[in-house]
Amino acid sequence: MSRSTRALGARSVAASAALLVLAAGLAGCGSSSTSAPAGTTGATAAKSPAVATGPVTLVNGWVRSKDAMATTATGMAGDMSMTGVFGMLTNTTDKEITVTGGSSPVAGMVEVHETVKNAAGVMVMQPKAGGFVIPAKGTFELKPGGNHIMLMKMSGMPKIGTSVQLTLTTSAGPATLTIPVRNFAGGDENYVPAGGATTSMSGMTHS
Amino acid sequence: MSTGSDRAAAGPGRRTVLLSGLGGIGVLAGAAGLGGCTSSSGTAGASGASAGAGAGSAADTLRDASGHATARAFRGERQAGIIEPPQTYAVFLAVDLPTGADADSVRRLLTIWTDDAEKLMSGQGTLADLEPELAAVPAGITVTIGVGRRVPELTGAAVPSWLAPLPAYKIDKLQERWSGGDLFVQVCANSPTTVAHAVRRMLTNMGSLGRVRWQQRGFREPFEGPGIPMRNLFGQVDGTVQPDVTGSESAMLWIGSAGPAWLHGGSTVVVRRIAMDMEVWDRVDREARENAIGRHLGSGAPLTSPADAPPTAAADLDAKTPLGFHVIDDGSHLRRARGDNKEKILRRPYSYDDAPEVDPTTGRMSGLSNTGLIFVAYQADPMTQFAPMQARLAEKDLLNLWTTPIGSAVFAILPGAKDGEILGQALFG
Ligand code: HEM
Ligand SMILES: [Cu+2]
Repeated sequence: MSRSTRALGARSVAASAALLVLAAGLAGCGSSSTSAPAGTTGATAAKSPAVATGPVTLVNGWVRSKDAMATTATGMAGDMSMTGVFGMLTNTTDKEITVTGGSSPVAGMVEVHETVKNAAGVMVMQPKAGGFVIPAKGTFELKPGGNHIMLMKMSGMPKIGTSVQLTLTTSAGPATLTIPVRNFAGGDENYVPAGGATTSMSGMTHS
Repeated sequence: MSTGSDRAAAGPGRRTVLLSGLGGIGVLAGAAGLGGCTSSSGTAGASGASAGAGAGSAADTLRDASGHATARAFRGERQAGIIEPPQTYAVFLAVDLPTGADADSVRRLLTIWTDDAEKLMSGQGTLADLEPELAAVPAGITVTIGVGRRVPELTGAAVPSWLAPLPAYKIDKLQERWSGGDLFVQVCANSPTTVAHAVRRMLTNMGSLGRVRWQQRGFREPFEGPGIPMRNLFGQVDGTVQPDVTGSESAMLWIGSAGPAWLHGGSTVVVRRIAMDMEVWDRVDREARENAIGRHLGSGAPLTSPADAPPTAAADLDAKTPLGFHVIDDGSHLRRARGDNKEKILRRPYSYDDAPEVDPTTGRMSGLSNTGLIFVAYQADPMTQFAPMQARLAEKDLLNLWTTPIGSAVFAILPGAKDGEILGQALFG
């Protein structure tokens, strides 16, 4: 038999779907907040898969890929040997944790970076002295233009839609993450190595 | 004039009528979306939580009570955006794969879009989204993804014979710019901002894995609900007669075990861009307009029912005038589209009303309108369901005097993604 799309059948399907999302949404969102109850297991399906077991997870984490095709079109190919990792570092333990660096199969060097304004008023990034401190059961945000993890000495950009392995060095031991790679146009601050605000790194840009 | 102010006055009242329906659910889902998720992408726990609470107050009353803030489930046997009552705003777009595309690049694109769709439908920004606030009102958003012939060809999956352009019809004036494509994305929501943001994020995240081939923006009646039907821009009540796709006729919509394995639980979509010639329509009197469709313009009821009958009233195809002609004209759209009523399609039409095109020789806009219907039809098999209907209409349909198909595309709609899967998982063997 024929009937209208607005028939009750279709509507109640939508309605129960909404209820499902409600439940999933609460669980997923709660896991990344500082007040997540003990025993909350990482992110739900609605969160990105950039989560692994260990003392630290990265909720909604992503690695920036410079899209060679897109950037050359505008003449901004940039430095293809380094890029940033972003997302919400989340401490799953009840003790403060410090992240000081890491290692990755795709990078010869991994550093924790902050972004600061230098004497000339230019935003530059540099190694973060003392590392990233994540409070017990707390979070620490990594974002373009702010704190981030730097993958350096890479042999090439990881492809978008793939994932990158990263093992963080933390005061609570290693934490291995699998982080999706995404296309991102911004985030080209200048790079200033440790203690070298005056060091000329012209031509070397951050991603 | 008076009609304008009448309409304005009627607005809030009508909206209130709509409010009662999904009220409770809307409020709950809205609260989860705004409070919970904003804090995850905001700066830190405390400040994020308070921002969520603020946004959850006055402004939400309207959205929530009308069900507009509702989030929808992404994971499941089937994709969303098909059997739900159509949301008010939509973007339909087709993407072409670049020359060097292969199974791996297609898989990476579907990996990205699966994650995007899941996040957007739960009211979160996508990865790499610096403006997740624009996703925080899910507004019932659905993201629905399909593929053209090139995708199973690249991945080595079985290619159904119907996954090809429709036969040519004599009424067609198809333009390349509105036709074909390697992948299909439908984004629908009750907020145009939500739609725009979702499309932008998905296309940005696509990077060089694809290129937009065409993009069509459509709308329906924002106040649609009891007593306020969807009307197309000819003023006709549109979308009334539909198969019972959640019940006895679900096999007309979903691909079952007879289809290729990668499409079990999937469907197909035909997207036809149909121009409506408003200037010629203007010359026609109301009687002739109603005769062309076989229905009363005001109520949408068949001409064999009283003018104030509901649009769902049964049409009497045998009724004759005193002069011996069918009351529902032999060339009327109702009669011609229905045929023997064996093949059926689920119609999900949206209007478009764009700025008139600029004439390249004069540099001026040509004509007064660039108006029509984005005719979106879902069915299990376009060749056995859609094509016979379209052939009949191309042969004879009074509406053809004013309507011209200018775009056409056919896609396979992927099955839903279950936990841990990407959309189109089964394409990759
Ligand atoms: C601009 C083009 C078109 C317009 C303005 C239009 C308008 C309408 C209207 C007003 C109705 C009656 C109300 C309803 O049941 O929704 C209708 C019915 C229908 N239309 Fe169209 N339509 C168009 C194109 C098409 C096309 C291309 C097809 C399929 C190839 C189609 C298939 C149908 C079907 C199957 C029905 C239901 C017929 C019945 O059993 O009563 N229409 N259309
Ligand atoms: Cu850096």
